[in-house]
This record gives sequence, C-alpha cells and structure tokens, in this order.
Amino acid sequence: MVDTMQFGGGGGDDGHQGSLKPNQVLHTRYKIMGVLGGGGMGTVYQARDLNFPDVRKLVAIKEMQLLSNDPGVRANALRNFRREANILAALSHPAIPKIFDFFDINERAYLVMEYINGGDLEVILSKTKELPVEKVVEWAIDLCDVLEYLHRHEPEPIIFRDMKPPNVMIDSLGKVRLIDFGIAKTFTAGVKHTMIGTEGYSAPEQYKGDVTPLSDIYSLGATLHHVLTRKDPRLEAPFSFHERPLQNFNPKIPDALVAVVEKALQFNPVERFQSCAEMKAALEAVRYPKFALPMVAAGQPGNGGSMTTTFEEAATSAEIQPRWKFKTEDEIRTTPTCWQDLVFVGSYDTNVWSLKLEDGTMTWKYPTQGGIASSPVLDEQNRAVIFGSEDFRLHVVDARNGRSNWTFNTKDRIRSTPRVQHNHVFFGSDDGNIYAINSVNGRKIWEAEIGAPVRSRPFVTNDLVIVGAESGELVALSLSGQRKWTYRSKKGFISGPLVETKENVCYIGSQDGFLYALDATSGFNVWRFRTNGPVFSSPALRGNLVYAGSADGYLYAVNTQSGKEKWKFKTEKPIIGSPIVHQTNVYFGGTDEKLYCVDAESGKEKWHFKTSGAIVAAPLIVGDLVLVGSLDNTLYALPLVT
Amino acid sequence: MNVFRRLRKHPDSDSTPQGGIGDAAGDMKEKPDTAPLKLNVEGTTRPLPTDDTPAYTSEHLSFAQASDVGIVRTNNQDAAASFFATLSSAENRPDFGIFVIADGMGGHHDGEKASAIAARTVLAELTRRVYLPLLSMDEEQRPQITEAINDAILLANDAVINLVPEGGTTLTACVIVGDFAYFGHVGDSRAYIIHQGQAEQITRDHSYVQRLYELGNLDSNELSNHPQKNVLYRALGQPEMQEVDVTWRRLPANSALLLCSDGLWGQVRDNELVKALAAHVEPPTVCRELIAQANLNGGIDNVSVILVRIPG
Repeated sequence: MVDTMQFGGGGGDDGHQGSLKPNQVLHTRYKIMGVLGGGGMGTVYQARDLNFPDVRKLVAIKEMQLLSNDPGVRANALRNFRREANILAALSHPAIPKIFDFFDINERAYLVMEYINGGDLEVILSKTKELPVEKVVEWAIDLCDVLEYLHRHEPEPIIFRDMKPPNVMIDSLGKVRLIDFGIAKTFTAGVKHTMIGTEGYSAPEQYKGDVTPLSDIYSLGATLHHVLTRKDPRLEAPFSFHERPLQNFNPKIPDALVAVVEKALQFNPVERFQSCAEMKAALEAVRYPKFALPMVAAGQPGNGGSMTTTFEEAATSAEIQPRWKFKTEDEIRTTPTCWQDLVFVGSYDTNVWSLKLEDGTMTWKYPTQGGIASSPVLDEQNRAVIFGSEDFRLHVVDARNGRSNWTFNTKDRIRSTPRVQHNHVFFGSDDGNIYAINSVNGRKIWEAEIGAPVRSRPFVTNDLVIVGAESGELVALSLSGQRKWTYRSKKGFISGPLVETKENVCYIGSQDGFLYALDATSGFNVWRFRTNGPVFSSPALRGNLVYAGSADGYLYAVNTQSGKEKWKFKTEKPIIGSPIVHQTNVYFGGTDEKLYCVDAESGKEKWHFKTSGAIVAAPLIVGDLVLVGSLDNTLYALPLVT
Repeated sequence: MNVFRRLRKHPDSDSTPQGGIGDAAGDMKEKPDTAPLKLNVEGTTRPLPTDDTPAYTSEHLSFAQASDVGIVRTNNQDAAASFFATLSSAENRPDFGIFVIADGMGGHHDGEKASAIAARTVLAELTRRVYLPLLSMDEEQRPQITEAINDAILLANDAVINLVPEGGTTLTACVIVGDFAYFGHVGDSRAYIIHQGQAEQITRDHSYVQRLYELGNLDSNELSNHPQKNVLYRALGQPEMQEVDVTWRRLPANSALLLCSDGLWGQVRDNELVKALAAHVEPPTVCRELIAQANLNGGIDNVSVILVRIPG
C-alpha cells in the first residue's frame, strides 16, 4: 500500500509563511502570482507557467519544507516525496488534479499541479445556510467514484486517508475534485501535538494505525454527515455521529440517505459498505428511487418529489380524528384545566366554559366582563376554578355548578395565569402588582409592586414566589412578599418560570430571545441559550432536557447541565404556546395551526394535528385525551396516540 | 512545587499557605499534620467508614492547593491556580472561588509553558468577567458565568496557540458562588464532588480510551492499561478547539470538591480519595495526603490537587 500520509500529525495553521515572493520565478518556469493557502503542511502558491507565453496558464504549486536537521532523515524524506509524486503523477481521473511536475530546490520540495478554480466544501459550508440534499448526493456519488478508482489502483490500493470537507473542492463547473493528497505529511508528521489527535473524520481503526479502504468509507460518511448536519466532527467526541441523527438537523433528508451515511459510519469495518462501488450504488438508489415518480405525479405536484417526507406525514396526520370539538364564540388563547369528568376552558368571548370530558357537551358557562387570556386553574381543595379576566378581576368559581365563590379586584387587566399553592392564590396583573390571596375567602394577604405589567404565571416553591414582568425583570419574593432577588433581561417576560426544585434551578424564556437557567436561591445566571426570536413559551422539563418554543419557529430541547442544544424541531411559524411533557413525548402547538407530538429524546415528529387557527397556549393531557384550544375558537379533544 | 519531598525535609513548613481567609481557617480544630503518610493522626477521631467527610462546620468554604513533580519525571508540567474571596459583612455575600488545573503537553518546556499560560489566562479572564462584576453588585450587570468560563478557556486556547505553538494543555476550571459550582473542561484533568462516601466524577475525559469505553469497545480493566490512554481528542493548543464542556452542580452540604490532574486519578483510586477525605478535615492536609498517596503508588506523573470543603 502506498502511504501517502502518516497518521498522527495534529496539523493546523501555525502561521508558516512561504519562502517565495510574488513575481519571483521558480525553476526558471513558474512565475509566482500569490499565495492560495498555507498551514502546517506547507504553502500553496498560484503561479503562471511561463512555458506558455501566449496563454495565461495557471498552476498551483505546493511548497514543502524539510523540518528535520538530520541529513539522513532529510534524504529519506526527499526519496519518499519523489516516490509518491511519481505515483500521483501517474493517476488519471477527472476528480484528481493533474500533477505536472515536481522537483526540489534548497531543501524544499515542490509539487506543480493543476490549478482548480473553486471553493472547498468547508468554505462552501461557511458561506451557505443550506445546501440542497440532491446536490450533496451528487457530490457523494462522485467522491465514491474517485475513491473507488484509488482503491483499485495497481499494484497496491491507494488509500486517501484524509477525506474531509477542506480536501474536497467544487470547481467552477460544479464538479468534485479531491485535493491535498497527504504527500506533504511525510515532512511534518510526528512533531507537533503527538499526544493530541484531532482527526474527527478518521475511522476508529485508523487510530491504531490500521488503515484500509474501509477507513476512507468511514471518513466519507463523516464528511457527508458534517455537510448535511453542519456539525463539525472535530468539535465533537470521536465516533459520536450516531448521537447526532441527520434528520434532527434537516428533516428533508430522506430515510434512504440516512441509511447510507449510517452504514458508512459503522464502528466495525465489516458492517460498513465493503467497497466504494457498493456505497455508490446505494447513493444512486437514493438519487433515483424506484417508485418515486408515480407517487409524485399522483400526489403532490411540484413538491420536489421523492426527497421530501410530505406523503408520509399526511398519512399519519389523517389518522387522527378529534373525539369531539367544542366551538366557543371567540379565540381560545388559554390552556384548559380538568376536574373529575369536567374540562374548563376560557375563551376570549369573556366566558369560561365547563364541558363534559367524555363528549364535550356543555354543563355550565361563567361570563365575565372581559376576554379570558389567563388560563383557568383548579383549586382542588376548594373545588374551585380560578382565572383572571380582562375585566380586572380574579374570578373564583365553584367547579360543580359555575357559581361565583368570590372575586378579587385589581386595577387593570389580568392576563397572568394564577398559581394555587400553600392555600393561597398567586397571580399578577397589568396594574404592575403581584397578589397573594387567601384561596378560601379571597382576602388579600399581600401585594407586591413589580412596576410593570405582570403577565407571566408565578412559580411558587417552598420559600419563594418567582414571577416575570413586562419590564424584563424576573423577581423572586419571599412567601411574605419581600423581594429576595431580581434578574434583569433586556426584554420582557411573558413566559412563566419553572423551578426544578431538587437543584433549585429556575428556567424561563425571555422576549430577548434567550432561554435562561438561573440559580433560584440567588438569581445568578447558570447559563443562557440563544434562540432567534422572542421566547413567549414557558419551559417544560424532562430528565436533563428543558424544552421551550421560540418565535423563530423552532421548539428547542436544551441540556440542563450544559445549556447546549440537544435537538430542535422546525415548525412553519412562530411558536408562542408552551410545550408539555407526557411520558416520552413533548406536545406543543404552533401558530402554524398545528399541534405536534414529538419524541422527547430525539426530537422526531410522531404526529401532528392541524386546526384552523393558530395555537398559542399549551395543550392538556387528561386520561387518553389531548385537549387543545385554537384561535379558530374551538377546543379539540384528540385521542392520545402513542 | 514539590510538596511531598519538601515536607519531609521541612516538616513544619506549610506547603500551601492558602486555606481559607479569615474565619474560614479559624473554625477548624484539627491539629497540624506532620506525618503525611500516616492516615490516623494523633488527636483526631477516625469517623465511621460511611462518613466521608468529617463535619466541617463553618459558614465559609475552605480550600487548599498542591502540585508535585512526582517521582519519575524531572519537570512539573502541571499548573494550578486558586482564587478565593470571602466577605463577612452585613451584606451577606456568598463565598467566591475560581479554581483551575492544567496539565501541559509537549517537549522543550512547551508543556509547562502551555499549562502556566492557560491557567493564568483563565484566572485573569474570570476575575475580570465574573468576580469584579459580582463585587460591584450591580444587578443590571449580573455576570453570565457559564459563558465567561467558556470564553475564558477559548481565550486560553488562543494564548497557547500563539505563545506556545508546539505545546498543549488540558484545563479544568471551576467557579464557585456560594453553594453553586460552574465547571468548564477540556482534556483529561478531572473534577469530583465527594459526598456521603461517594466520589462523583463531574467531568468527562476527552481521551480516546474513554471514548472507546463509552462506546463499549473497552472494559474498565483495558482502560487503565491501554497503550493509547494518553491520547486526547480535545485539548488546548488546537486551532479546531471551539467546544468546551460546561456544566454545573449545586454543592451539597458537608461535601468536598476536588480538581486534579491525571497524575492523581491515574494513581489513586476513587475509594482512596474518599478515604483521605474521611481521615482529615483540613484541606492542606488532605492535599498532601493525596499527593503522598500518588507518589507511593508509583508517582509516574506530575500530580496536582485542589480541594474545596463545603461546610455542613
């Protein structure tokens, strides 16, 4: 086998400057035009070949410096260089740049190659937001083709060993070109960072020095994974590709392509494709799926065809039929609540409606003088339903018959959902106060001035009441209403705080676009996670993941320990409503009118249900029903499909 | 610093002057320890085996730091840095600490330069980004501690790349505010929390063998004897290094936080860590014990330890 490269070099740009200056003529033939690139492997120049005086023939010249001072080592390195340059010069494949010449001068070795006008995949990745999956498949097929050519080289296969985005150029015609055959590493390997391996694309066996054509297949899989997910494997733990499923980053990637990349990335070489030809065949099947055309023609014209999963989605969605629906007279902006066999839902039509869980028939309705934007909550002990209204009042209603137990007046509209805890009701008002009210008789225990409308639902722990305000202040009060700490974000809080009480860490979204984790005892920031739109949605927790939607249209799952994204799920429009967690799923509604059920660990969609209006509040799960209200005025009771 | 050897020559000198400021040190009742290898010190009561940490009752944290070249090597490529502030005042401010361990790699003194530069860069940046804003007590300017740790380590990475291009280093940093600990980590130095007789490893080694172990391709016996056990896939000094592991823990009452280089965890097992903590209260004594133990078990590498006691 030809060792075009030695494993182990950490590589990297350490600021090597080439020895050649512009306009200098090398080897009496090549006029240096400028530097194309450089790094630990040496400098690459652009030069003009003066043997063609009448045309501007450009070449690329790679200059490599001998690092050792030992004459024996140097002579040996030059011998290897000549041997390998000879092998490369004899190659002939459209994706391999031609070698025109090689020579050494003053202890430096030079390789004169075809100049390729284009950009490498790393540059292309940094300059684009999304690459068409079809394009990536085309490139992958071409890469399989050139690797197959190298692997079939006689008398010995050539193993590229360094398949990664920066070594794949896309030329001006859009064709793949493989560059940087590791010849240069003969000169520099083993000096720097002998203890640090950085090759995130290398196959596991490569670390043991055991390299076969199957290692190139792994690296090609790694390269495709990087291009498709835009997650650089050099920044991740080695061999961790399976922890970043392709479809989490781009749901448009067809299952068949996922299967190809996963097979190439098998830890055990015998489980990979056994040749690049085999991998190429699999990729071609992705490009031209056998039954794609009739399906597209019959189904969804103009929808991009086989590369989307629309057809399958439509099928799962169609299976879900509401058990019942109940239409109110205005938008439903709130989450329902339940007691025994009744469900209570507040509507912007000023009423709270009581419906039978079983079939959605109305048992009572309770009118207020303003729209209901505060979700009704249950006070189990007093069998009461509690909610605020834009008529400035907090209403406490008997769950059985809808008669008023008591009301409490504030000085402005109430949009904050109340919290019932420790025999008290805690809620905020647009009048800038938070109130603590005795839940039995409606007597005010205290009010605390926050100074800006309070629309966020308070969270109450054993010693703190935490609530966010429109001013961007998140305030923690003692149970007697004394301010303990304040955290300021740049924009207001609508999202309700959630405190994980074991570690006492508070999670909340802000309209400044961040999801925050704070030490609930002190208000210090633990981490913040940036989304690209305001976060109105209140977070939900499951294990070490915290979920929140953003107005950027994504639902995010963020690791509670690191504050880093585990996955995100793309919807079509901003997410305003809060997610809820039930068993292994996350449920949430979007302003794209859909209710989604997504796997809590992987972020894969299980099903969705489309209403006729935006969904801005969290759903509720009771028994085998998912209840969700929509701005189409309707409360939907869907079967809990798992 | 060669704590173990220096101690044998000068038994009365305290290797590590740090140990809490003000009433932090004054609350401790243990006698100075002059025989580091003997675990049962005269005048102390050995607690029951399940009590990992003898009751350390104080309102404040206390800590110690020690670093030793070991027995086999001729230079110490580790760096350790501690910064601790405690205020006793009407304002009731939480204790604050920055603790850093770095283990350098590379020949021609590059390793020790890299770890030294990395440790002090992180310390300086965290002081600027976290400690000084905390002192100013401006609620508008509450520091983003996790982000500051992440940025400080990336800054240290740049410093190592620029100043010691041939060197590299691990780095494990911890910021403590009150009972809340924030960690940043690259490489195979470690942070542990020791509580109720259990040592919990907080950090994940960025080594190939650890990765193979996580993937089920190595068992725990192969782990310690693997020829590639010193190969890291992430360390400071790499241009590609952009990812720092960050995490946090609320420190339980009567627990201990330990940061160490692989010279300690490679030589001293977790249960020995727990034992040393059970035997002694005073952090400097525990640090000396642990270094002595590492050297007793071979001392094949540099050893650095930072120990923080959390009051019960």
